[in-house]
Amino acid sequence: MTAAVRLSHVTKRFGRTEAVRDVSLEVPAGSLTGFIGPNGAGKSTTIRMIMSIIHPDAGTVEVLGADAIAAKDRIGYLPEERGLYRRMRVMEFLCYMATLKGMPSGGLRATVREWLERVQLGEAARKRCQELSKGQQQKVQFIAAVIHEPELIILDEPFSGLDPVNARLLNRLIRDLHRAGRTILFSTHVMHQAEQLCDRIVLINRGEKILDADMPEIHARFDPRSVLVEPAEPHAAAADALGRLPGVTAAQWVEERRGAELSVAPGADPQEVMAAAIGAMRVRHVSLRRTTLDDVFVELVGEHLPPSEESGNG
Amino acid sequence: MADGATRKVLAIAAREFRHTVLTKGFILGAIAVPALMFVAFLAVGWLAKSTMAPISGTLAVLDRSGRAEPFVRDELSSQRLSRLLPYDGGKEAPAMLPGGEDAMAQAAALAPKIDLSLEFSTDPADEEALRARVRDGALLGLAIVPPAAVEPPPASRDARVTLIVPSNSPPRLTTAFERGLERSVVKARVQASGNDWATLDAIMDPPSTDVRRLGADGTEAAESVVAKTLLPMGFMMLLWVCTFTSGQYLLTSTIEEKSSKVMEVVLSAVSPMQLLGGKILGFAAVSAVMLGMYGGLGIAGLQAASMGDLVSPGLLVLLGVYFVMAYAFVAIMMASVGSAVNDLREAQSLVTPAMLVLMVPLILWLPISEQPNGMLAVVMSFVPPATPFVMALRVAASSEPIAAWQVAASIVWGFACVAAFLWAGAKVFRVGVLMQGKPPTPRELLRWIRMA
Repeated sequence: MTAAVRLSHVTKRFGRTEAVRDVSLEVPAGSLTGFIGPNGAGKSTTIRMIMSIIHPDAGTVEVLGADAIAAKDRIGYLPEERGLYRRMRVMEFLCYMATLKGMPSGGLRATVREWLERVQLGEAARKRCQELSKGQQQKVQFIAAVIHEPELIILDEPFSGLDPVNARLLNRLIRDLHRAGRTILFSTHVMHQAEQLCDRIVLINRGEKILDADMPEIHARFDPRSVLVEPAEPHAAAADALGRLPGVTAAQWVEERRGAELSVAPGADPQEVMAAAIGAMRVRHVSLRRTTLDDVFVELVGEHLPPSEESGNG
Repeated sequence: MADGATRKVLAIAAREFRHTVLTKGFILGAIAVPALMFVAFLAVGWLAKSTMAPISGTLAVLDRSGRAEPFVRDELSSQRLSRLLPYDGGKEAPAMLPGGEDAMAQAAALAPKIDLSLEFSTDPADEEALRARVRDGALLGLAIVPPAAVEPPPASRDARVTLIVPSNSPPRLTTAFERGLERSVVKARVQASGNDWATLDAIMDPPSTDVRRLGADGTEAAESVVAKTLLPMGFMMLLWVCTFTSGQYLLTSTIEEKSSKVMEVVLSAVSPMQLLGGKILGFAAVSAVMLGMYGGLGIAGLQAASMGDLVSPGLLVLLGVYFVMAYAFVAIMMASVGSAVNDLREAQSLVTPAMLVLMVPLILWLPISEQPNGMLAVVMSFVPPATPFVMALRVAASSEPIAAWQVAASIVWGFACVAAFLWAGAKVFRVGVLMQGKPPTPRELLRWIRMA
């Protein structure tokens, strides 16, 4: 598979601060890649380098097989710090942005109107941007990023500030664009959004890449090998009984789940452990615990946090 | 530049122009006010004429000397009065202004219709009755000429003419009567002294002085106070107002784009250089609109004052060149400062040093206008960014031609400096547009220029 974005040993410094350190990564064409990391990890700096808004101090950036500046019209970009010309009307703003993105002027207004309808903002075309609510402004900004049908779409924290209804609408639009063959790279620090949408994850922390893998690969690599058993008659003593099952190394009662979490021994088959649990007592629910991106994030980023941060706001 | 890039630059320029010129503030401040001034200028003559009602009535003269009547009849004849009225006190139109005679003829055409009759009496007993008629509005006025007033020399300082007019008498008419009566009394004194007024008047008429400036190449040019001082100042101020107003708009627009976070959205579509180019081009059009308005108003004013010949097409071309240069200096400076700061308050500290250099031509206006070829003027002509402003002063001081090589050198040098400004300004702009937080110090700006 060809790469839509390829970074090779990219480093960016601001004064004495190394915002991005020797990062190499590839975003496969047609993928929906999540670019995750804690605040200040270097996500936005990396994205700005991909957009050629700033330039790396070392390393190379290749976008859509070319220099990033040459590919600007083939990229859609929703920056983290979003803004509009407050006094411009919505229609005028979107036509202006589309023109800057190289769209021909013929039929432009119809395209803008179509997009506004699509995000349920049809009545806002003649409004000034400053008259829109924050959520509406965000939708207008999203249109500005994708109206020129770019091959590569880069969304920096696209869901921040959106209410659940609009977040769901944006989620659907991103999926539609992905199904239409667009390559999408979006950054977020909200793990469940990345998990819902992405087929690939790049995790960056303190300017360094610490994970770059497909979702199935991540699930396999970070398999917790634990089974959750919810007894029909919940009581803490059930954990002791379950802990004695073959292939279980430990069992811990989790009060809030009203069940026990069993650690599966290396080499043991989790399916056999689940069958044994069902055989041992009447159960309401048995499941193989699935790795969440949250777990992966905490595990990887937590490893890199200094002790004071780990116990604090980590 | 590729077609696509040109289209983007033009789109940015068009947006900046539209969103500056088509605003209430600009329309009111930069277009409506000068337009109204222009209309008011044209309307002055019409208004003056319309407010001067025809003069018809009688002026009573109580000539207690019995010697002033023929001279009063002569000085206050309708024909002479019509010449006295448009000018305060009957003074001649200023001879130093080129076209003064034309202006005099135009103004005379605006004089109101006059139908004045004079009524004379020598009996002091009539005074009360005549005063009563003035009070009733039956007379335009009552002039009392005492015998002492026509004695050569006057008998005392109290030997003065008294003019009594109704309370609603137009001041200009009163002044015309006053001047006419004064001249009549002087004529009567001259006659009483045994001299001939016409001869004496001709003797006392001061000759006009024709000042000619002789250039090194032997060419002569007429001296003109307006051309030498006011016109250069006018042209320099025109450049100042047009370039600084649009420069201020450019500064505000750049700061707004930064503070509203729209800058990064735009930079995802265009390069910083395309953005800078579009902004400079857009506000150049704004500046040109202002130049057209104010410059047109100024030239119309000169034409109305019959001084249009002071502004030759060649001078206008030169001023156009210096306008482009001045705008480029100011615009590059404002755009780079705007990109580096977060609000107007922060901008002031960075703009002030450059403003001080640009204030120099304003401070040195008089010495440079007085001596457009002096050492100070020549040196300041080559100090950027003051070059275009100083040269505007010098070339507009038309009474003293500037050496052609200096004009050519100032243009070449000025645009070379513009290119250097653009090089440094573009580097600051490229770094500054994405910077947030503390504004840079001058030292940091230099570092940006070196590193970008």
